[in-house]
Amino acid sequence: MALEVLLVEDSRTQAAQIKETLESVGLRVRVAYDGPDGLREASENPPALVVLDVKLPTMDGFQVCRRLKRNPATQHIPVVMLTEKADPKSTMSGLREGADDYIPKDIFASEHLIQTLQELGILE
Amino acid sequence: MSEAKSPYKMRPPILQVRVEDSMDIMIVRDTTRRAAGLLGFSPAHRAQLASAAATLAELVLKTGEAHTIFLNGVVSGMQAGLQIASETPWLAGVSANNVLVALRSKMGDLVDEIRLMGEESPTILMIMWLNDDRSL
Repeated sequence: MALEVLLVEDSRTQAAQIKETLESVGLRVRVAYDGPDGLREASENPPALVVLDVKLPTMDGFQVCRRLKRNPATQHIPVVMLTEKADPKSTMSGLREGADDYIPKDIFASEHLIQTLQELGILE
Repeated sequence: MSEAKSPYKMRPPILQVRVEDSMDIMIVRDTTRRAAGLLGFSPAHRAQLASAAATLAELVLKTGEAHTIFLNGVVSGMQAGLQIASETPWLAGVSANNVLVALRSKMGDLVDEIRLMGEESPTILMIMWLNDDRSL
């Protein structure tokens, strides 16, 4: 059975694109459109991986990552952050919150995401 | 600059990216991730190195001159690491201490070492060393 990824992304257009990328390598994808929904989904039905946008309404990706890593029910789940802000300060903020990778949304994003999933053991 | 400088012994990977416009910043980021991956850095540390290289490329691009970012494996004793370098001739005559303070402020903890080598045509070097916590 295919592993499941929880994608937390408020843009429906970007969520559809990322979902397509993840499904193209055989993963199942659930989408949450804001941070609180993402936290609830991750806690109630822990996925194999969380792919997390940084810029989210209500609660940003850094806060979501922090809460995921502090919750014993979700702290083991790898988190990959996807972002339009990849400056040094934001990168370090994401990694300090416990993210396993911090990937800019550029033309190489899909390739880097898949490579990271392989290295995290999510993909063979 | 035809080849990178380093106070350390260099080893593969030896890669370089010519940076002429803002699109090339993405290439620098991508190439740095690949170089760091070849050396065995974890995804998180690849992200750090890529951010450092892209930031250096952006800073140098602001001078309006095309330049080259060099990515080299480096070795010091038993330690291996990745060095990111760019020649910065416009820094000739500028206080190295001031440059280093400004760079450290911009880069934060992204890399282990930031150096300025050479006086007539200074080169900025940034290095992250590989250790058990940083490898796959």
